[in-house]
Amino acid sequence: MRRLLPLLLLMLGLALPAAAQSPASTAFPYTLKTDTLPNGLTVVRVPYPSRGIIAYVTVVRVGSRNEVEPGKTGFAHFFEHMMFKGTQRHPEGEREKLMGTFGFDDNAFTTDDITLYYSYGPSAGLPQLIEIEADRFQNLEYSEPSFRTEALAVLGEYHKNAAAPYLKMEEALNATAFTRHTYRHTTLGFYEDIKAMPEAYDYSRTFFQRWYTPDNTLLFIVGDFDDAKVMQLVRDNYGPWNRKAAQVSVPAEPPQRGTRTVHVDWPQPTQPRLVLAWHTPAASPRTPDSALQALLIDYLVGPTSPAYKSLVLDKQLVEAIGSDAAEHRDPHLFTLTATLKEERSRDTVRLALLQEVSRLAAGKVDAARVKAAQDHARYGALMALQTPRDVGIQLGWNAGILGTPDGLQTHLRHLAQVTPAQLSTFAKRYLTANNLTMLSLTPKVAADAGGTK
Amino acid sequence: MNTRATLSLTALLALAGCASTPKPAPEPSPPPPPAQEATAPATPAPTAAPTEVPAVPLHQPKPLERVVLARPDTPIVTFRLVFHTGSIDDPKGKEGLTALTATLMAEGGTQKLTSAQLLEALYPMAAELEVFPDKEFTTFSGRVHKDFLPRFVDILTDVLLAPRLDPAELERLRTNAVSDVENGLRSANDEALGKVALDALLYEGHPYAHYVGGTVQGLKSITLDDVKAHAQRVFTQDRLVVGLAGAVDDALQQSLLAKLASLPATGAPRVTLPPVKSSAGKVVIVQKEALSTAISLGTVYPLRRGDPDYFSIAFALSHLGEHRQFIGVLFNELREKRGLNYGDYAYAENFIEDPGSTYNRNNIARTQQLMSLWARPVEPANAVFATRGLVFFLDQLVNQPLSQERFDLMRGYLQGYTRLWEQTDSRRLGYAIDSLFYGTPDFLEQYRQAMTKMTPASVQEAARRRLHPEALGFAFVTQDAEGLAQALRSGQPSPISYASKKSPELLEQDQAIIQLKLPVHPDAIHVVPAQSFMEK
Repeated sequence: MRRLLPLLLLMLGLALPAAAQSPASTAFPYTLKTDTLPNGLTVVRVPYPSRGIIAYVTVVRVGSRNEVEPGKTGFAHFFEHMMFKGTQRHPEGEREKLMGTFGFDDNAFTTDDITLYYSYGPSAGLPQLIEIEADRFQNLEYSEPSFRTEALAVLGEYHKNAAAPYLKMEEALNATAFTRHTYRHTTLGFYEDIKAMPEAYDYSRTFFQRWYTPDNTLLFIVGDFDDAKVMQLVRDNYGPWNRKAAQVSVPAEPPQRGTRTVHVDWPQPTQPRLVLAWHTPAASPRTPDSALQALLIDYLVGPTSPAYKSLVLDKQLVEAIGSDAAEHRDPHLFTLTATLKEERSRDTVRLALLQEVSRLAAGKVDAARVKAAQDHARYGALMALQTPRDVGIQLGWNAGILGTPDGLQTHLRHLAQVTPAQLSTFAKRYLTANNLTMLSLTPKVAADAGGTK
Repeated sequence: MNTRATLSLTALLALAGCASTPKPAPEPSPPPPPAQEATAPATPAPTAAPTEVPAVPLHQPKPLERVVLARPDTPIVTFRLVFHTGSIDDPKGKEGLTALTATLMAEGGTQKLTSAQLLEALYPMAAELEVFPDKEFTTFSGRVHKDFLPRFVDILTDVLLAPRLDPAELERLRTNAVSDVENGLRSANDEALGKVALDALLYEGHPYAHYVGGTVQGLKSITLDDVKAHAQRVFTQDRLVVGLAGAVDDALQQSLLAKLASLPATGAPRVTLPPVKSSAGKVVIVQKEALSTAISLGTVYPLRRGDPDYFSIAFALSHLGEHRQFIGVLFNELREKRGLNYGDYAYAENFIEDPGSTYNRNNIARTQQLMSLWARPVEPANAVFATRGLVFFLDQLVNQPLSQERFDLMRGYLQGYTRLWEQTDSRRLGYAIDSLFYGTPDFLEQYRQAMTKMTPASVQEAARRRLHPEALGFAFVTQDAEGLAQALRSGQPSPISYASKKSPELLEQDQAIIQLKLPVHPDAIHVVPAQSFMEK
């Protein structure tokens, strides 16, 4: 509940002046009205013909990336849970009543880089929503017993996710590919740290003061509303918020100097897995690196790629190929993933994927496929914006990662500008043997028998 | 996007029989009357749980019935082609045939296009073409920008009228389907496994009982000839409702309908669904390696959309536990106050989360519905306490009226929240199509209207009539299955300790929960190893 899957953010360097307006375009047919309050809070309004429904999205640029202290991994995510616990003015339980009065869908998720909160419901409740949201971001308060109880819900979340191999794979890959950067741990955090969370009440207050600050937060309001009235409410309610984001030093990851491998034995029936992961640059509004990686996924392992046709359709060696790469605030990983049908195909599949990378790095680029991927991305982005909630979360996600309120439009613009040669150059520079980490996962049942069962 | 068959473990339905105790001869319940506004019925006394739930057929729309929700302010066209066929049409020994056939049609190419060419055609458009098979319904859904409309219509109709049905693709998709059972259902999603196990328990011996995705042996026995024949038997005009929304004009409607008129007019006779016998007190425990214990419980009942009590029961169960929302009693009591797990919810009908939302999927209607409660996995030591907690708060719902304050809160909440359920063209179509089968036109607006007439007393009276904690069946997924079975058989109290201070009121309530007599029959507790679940 209240948490979607942990996924994936930088420092807020506002690119837009106060009261900026980003016009609609064919790729993103909505207008952004952006203001920055004197305390640094960025407030973006998006008129959307939603028949009385609004989305209210708050993005705090804090995620598991910020967890630099030993023993405190998973805290950004845990803190997201605590943000629902109340204040002096609205004690625990009152939020549910207010949200209930109007019927808001009220939730949040945490990633490596951001924490995103959203409320989605009738615009009639917007004044009350602004008040209660501004209050909790400034005046959050909770008791130690409440904190300890919520820690158990977080543990339950970990246990739930641990049933499938993905969490263990992510833990193993990150711990191998990263030696210093906080991306070594997942958003959920190390299991031992999660179990110790009930003891960290005092630290949780520090965490709030450190990161929940107006200059580290962006607010997106999407839907039908009177802009002037809403902005007045926002100024009145958020204006007194007056903290500055802390500066912590996230250790830079040194360059990798040789292929690394990691193996996971999975104690239950499952398909064998393969992950190839390379360190790649961070998402940035100033470079096309994020757009390049998005297109690279489709080019190498998308549904029309030669690898898909060969490995999935023709030879049927794999159940699925793909990537779990996503934009990150700091340099992260570009991955290719394969769910094998049989263990004995592992080398064949690995070599086939590496061969596709080599071909691209050698300059052999199919320009028509790049164009198709760009068309797919453009139309796909448009089709993904079905509701105010979709628009708010997409805007919030990209803004949080890129550190600019028009991050989504920037990303879409970069997608349209990528050239085939850039893809090749990127592959040649980053997708190298010395920069590669390979993960294998095998079910504990006799792997040499061929197949999972 | 590309073609995708959406049959996953989250499509929670099931099979795997568990031994049952013979029941006395049932007294058939009357069929539900036509839909009408919910008012407080005049029967305050609770009724006994039915010993069996008969199959009152759903409404049958006319062949190729059209539902059109055109709007000019979008460039996207949404298609929802809903066939009244599902896993109930799987022949015995070929469990999974409907889902596999539908998936092969959607993903396996057309007579003009190989599967790879199909993907290549759809890819630059970012067009969506998906299929979702369920117990009684199979939905082919599509979305496309109007820039590509003619091409997409050709592809979509070819998928239905001229699928390639290629043997190599059949093998690929069959292997995936078997893996979905062996590696997915049995191994990687304890929550889904618990829900599927509950379905298998409650619908034992009924065509709903097996997993929509099939059984391992059923899937392995399917031949290409089976698939070809089955497509002709069930994907027919008389079972199809055609939904269109968004940038739709008359020309599109005419051309699509003209093409779909080439489908077989009729095919296999409709499956006659048998009555569902009560599973009161039965327990299935699926044994597998797991850090925590998944819990699902519920009962089949003769209530579905269109019944005069339906809205009141839906309201009551939203109060008890609206899916993945903070407002429910179960969520607050078991998770927020006690820290037992990640969430606890209640459902008035078959519920499968629509991806990317917290709302129920459309077009997964059932002739014979169930109500269910779900506790997300708990520490094994707390499994019995959590189960008692679920039953305790269900008991409260039946035996105590909501306070006026709580009732008003829930009513305001659902007046707003139900609007979120109809925010996309696809979901609006889905509701309209479901309404044809249930006989409930303008369903969500009718729900909102009905709420204006409800009172705390009318909701409680409906709960007393229609919700029967004593009729519950129970499904668990856990590592120490025998230990849990023993704890359930013994009926011993299940004390609980907390890591933090709790209020005296909560601790007092705990005493009642710890001692609560679960409606479990000690001789109806069965352990099933996960590796044999859904084998045949």
